[in-house]
Amino acid sequence: MVASVFSSALKLLGTTPLSRRKAMWGMALVAPNVLGLMFFFGIPVLIAFWTAFQDWNGIKPAQYAGFEKFELMQDDPYFETSLKNTIVLTLYTVPAGTVLALGAAVLLNQPLRGRSFFRTLYFLPVVTSTVAASVVWTWIFQPRYGIVNSWLEPLGYGETKWLTDPDYILVPIAAVAIWQRLGFNIVLFLAGLQAVPSILHEAATIDGANRWQRFLHVTLPMLSPTTFLVVVLGIISSFQIFDQIYVMTSRYVPGGVRHSASTLAYYLYERAFTGSDFGYGSAIALVLFGLILLVTVIQLSLQRFWVYYESNEG
Amino acid sequence: MLKGRNLVLLLVAVLMVSSFNHAVPTQAQDSEPAIKALPCKEPGTLTMWVWDENWAKVIGDSIEAWKETYCPGAEVDLQVQPWDQYWDLLKTNAAGGELPDVFNVSQDRFFFYADNDALLDLQPYWDEYGVDTSLWGAGTVDPYRWGENNDLYAGPVNWDTIAIYYNKDMFDAAGLEYPTADWTWDDFAADAAALTTDDVYGALTYLEYQAGYPNWIAATGTTPVVEAGRTSCTLSDEGSLEALNFLYGLFEQGYMPDVTTVGGTSADDAFAFWSSGKVAMITGGSWKLPDAIAQVPFNWDVVQLPKNPETGRSRSIVHSVGYVAAANSDNADLAANLILYLVSDEGQRFFAEAGGVAPASPSPELQQMWIDSFGGEGKNIQAFVDALEDSQGVTVFDEIWDAMNSEMVTQIFDLGIPVEEAAAATCEFIDSQLPQ
Amino acid sequence: MLRRNQSYQRVGIPTALLSYIILGAGAVIMVMPFIWMASTACKPPIELNKIPVKWLPDNPVCGDNLDLLYDNSPRFNRYLLNSALLTIGRTLGQLVTCSLAAYGFARYRFPGRNIIFALCLALLMVPFQAILIPEWMLLKRLNWLNTFQGLIIPGTFSAFALFLLRQAFMQIPIEIEEAAVIDGANPLQVLWNVTLPLSGPALAAFAVITVQAAWNEFLYPLAIANTPDTRVVTIGISLLQGERRTPWNIIMMGSLLATLPMLMMFLLLQRYFIAGISASGVKR
Repeated sequence: MVASVFSSALKLLGTTPLSRRKAMWGMALVAPNVLGLMFFFGIPVLIAFWTAFQDWNGIKPAQYAGFEKFELMQDDPYFETSLKNTIVLTLYTVPAGTVLALGAAVLLNQPLRGRSFFRTLYFLPVVTSTVAASVVWTWIFQPRYGIVNSWLEPLGYGETKWLTDPDYILVPIAAVAIWQRLGFNIVLFLAGLQAVPSILHEAATIDGANRWQRFLHVTLPMLSPTTFLVVVLGIISSFQIFDQIYVMTSRYVPGGVRHSASTLAYYLYERAFTGSDFGYGSAIALVLFGLILLVTVIQLSLQRFWVYYESNEG
Repeated sequence: MLKGRNLVLLLVAVLMVSSFNHAVPTQAQDSEPAIKALPCKEPGTLTMWVWDENWAKVIGDSIEAWKETYCPGAEVDLQVQPWDQYWDLLKTNAAGGELPDVFNVSQDRFFFYADNDALLDLQPYWDEYGVDTSLWGAGTVDPYRWGENNDLYAGPVNWDTIAIYYNKDMFDAAGLEYPTADWTWDDFAADAAALTTDDVYGALTYLEYQAGYPNWIAATGTTPVVEAGRTSCTLSDEGSLEALNFLYGLFEQGYMPDVTTVGGTSADDAFAFWSSGKVAMITGGSWKLPDAIAQVPFNWDVVQLPKNPETGRSRSIVHSVGYVAAANSDNADLAANLILYLVSDEGQRFFAEAGGVAPASPSPELQQMWIDSFGGEGKNIQAFVDALEDSQGVTVFDEIWDAMNSEMVTQIFDLGIPVEEAAAATCEFIDSQLPQ
Repeated sequence: MLRRNQSYQRVGIPTALLSYIILGAGAVIMVMPFIWMASTACKPPIELNKIPVKWLPDNPVCGDNLDLLYDNSPRFNRYLLNSALLTIGRTLGQLVTCSLAAYGFARYRFPGRNIIFALCLALLMVPFQAILIPEWMLLKRLNWLNTFQGLIIPGTFSAFALFLLRQAFMQIPIEIEEAAVIDGANPLQVLWNVTLPLSGPALAAFAVITVQAAWNEFLYPLAIANTPDTRVVTIGISLLQGERRTPWNIIMMGSLLATLPMLMMFLLLQRYFIAGISASGVKR
């Protein structure tokens, strides 16, 4: 009995001794990180999801609530606003953030004099204190004394209340989110550009391709694994935008007038900690998780159409 | 010199009597302390949380003195948590069943912990120690009373009141007399109009719950925002609308800036706007005195809030931070003994001398010591003490905080939503958050 | 003159000019908040509340503010040290666990590989705010609250670094590794001798991002290990701000001090991002 279970388990690993040995190596290699992740983060995630089905204010003992918290969402206008804002912010930040970072990385990758100086400047947002950044950005978007409105004055938008008007508040939040993530994405793209073998560029040059054609037909395809990484991570992080909302709106109305700046990640925290409804907070987290998972699975399955890997093992 | 000091002392003593509506035993100098510290029964170990590093230094010194004099062998692990995350961390610890033995709360946050039976009832200890809790001002301790018998669950640390900070140079330039404590809303409005120029606003007095519009509502005799006991929203009441419309009128005339021009919705933003010379008069808390003395580059002073012409009253919001103990503390007796020391005359002396916030202690001597700690600046610091006389305790709680503290203000004073409409919408939300 | 011409061979003057204009315009937006941070760190209190923002102090008092920072926060160096411990421990830990796992996922087939990888990736998708309380409870159960192991060890496992390194390893032509395998190297030797050395830019990116993230970590160490002995610098800075008191100059001086190690790290590592040592035969 035991022997047969063992042998069928062995078959699962592979049909030949070599493939079995490779499978054992594979599992051994991934084990430390996977087990650590599951223990230190998997367990808390499971507990958080369990909380989604409880009524718990954090102090009194939790009581089973079934799907009550999920039903609550259907009549909660702030949940709807937050869901909409989450998607809108992703649409604002991911394409713009990816294209800008790619452009900057390509420019910074040229053999230009002073490029390490520029690279350092573009890295500064990553190391600038978020609080300092938020103070400056709130002044940049300040309607009366700010720079943005002085530029927009001739266009007739000089009075726009970027940080309080529900119609505009997502714009400065997206701007800061893009700004802060740009250095991060540039670093990834710069690293990715190194992996493009120069021989391909040289071959293309010999074939008479101009710069733009080389970028389009050599750099972009070879960079696709990095682009994939940047887009997947960008979407995951944009779904979780929290700090920028917190720091940009806390000077005015936290979360925006009528929750106009609230996202699911922000709203779940507010419901859990300010509203002392940890069940509802967890339920929103579960919905957010499902949403990100869905988008990521779609991306993972679409990657074979546009992501080019050097090795076919992927 | 001595005579002057005695006179002030006497004045303070008289004030205390009238302001707290309770007889304070007449105090000769160096007499019996108002609240007396007592030795602990048994030393042990306590954890304690505070949110401000300056406070932590003062409280740390007083704890050392307590350990030396009253409780040799006791250990206190004093932890400072950042203000912005203090309440979230407290909830995290509470959720794990581990509140600190002793911690600071504000009056608006007290409700949640008391309502969930997480706090130790200190009343038996006040009784045992012979502390007459009515010595403290009503505004400082009443929001910390809980349960059928109105037991006092917290020891008050300090008090804060609100007054008008004004730019004397601007008054001079406009040829106006400096305001005095008997001025009215009409005088205030006239001054605001006269002080407004192309570059400078006359006044900015609506921002924030504690320093802003609720003070004006209180002056009409209406309890601002929500009734004590959290029974109903008052923002649509006649007095509230009168006050909000008065402020909105000044705003509409261009005498007050909108929220985005100020750059934020907190009283600190108003203070920054004032100290950079953009506005002549603001409402500000007594807690801003040290910053004002250190940072303001022009001549300034403070004066009590103007009086509502009909009621003849000016009423400041008063708030007091409290020390509370966890209900499930392993060392409840010791925690109570430490709190007793911290609110006693001896423990409060550390705050009085530090020159920051005003000590909650009913001792006139300590109140004077606090005023003197600002040195001979010649500022009318007494205005804040006088504001205690007819003051309004905090009745709001954290679930409604953002809605009434910043959101309604922004709707009215930035987005131009009519006062009645914004007040009604805010009340609708507040009513949904009230118990039952 | 000759050398300069040579090194500019691949970028024509119009292209270079255009690049400079675009990069320069972008750089202004990138540096503005940093400049404000640095200049505020040197402002006396009286210049703090200027509206609109004042870019340079009239009377710089950098030294005074530095002294004030250490007066207000005498243990600030200790916090910097703790941040360094957290950062180094976490980065080295992730380098080991995540490069092993990334290599395993990139190069080996085993049952459940895709599901396990997806599960790891899924952990990235849960916002940390949602698991703050369970995480705190887990570490409390382990008796790891307010300890260095609680501060450091959980963070040595990472789905993010796993993903980043897996993508990098998959860009390396497999033939190079196969050659080493034929020479009899075991997987660990291949990883160490072949794959990692070929992943220089990716490892540099990993280091820059991980170090920076660990150094700026806030909510986690705040909840897990906020005692004077284990406190990290981000918390030390946030403690400078009181409920009603924001000494911007001191806070920004603290932030500036905390930024300098990150800038130095970036300057050290950025040579790995420099194109063309192998890429342009024209250049050398």
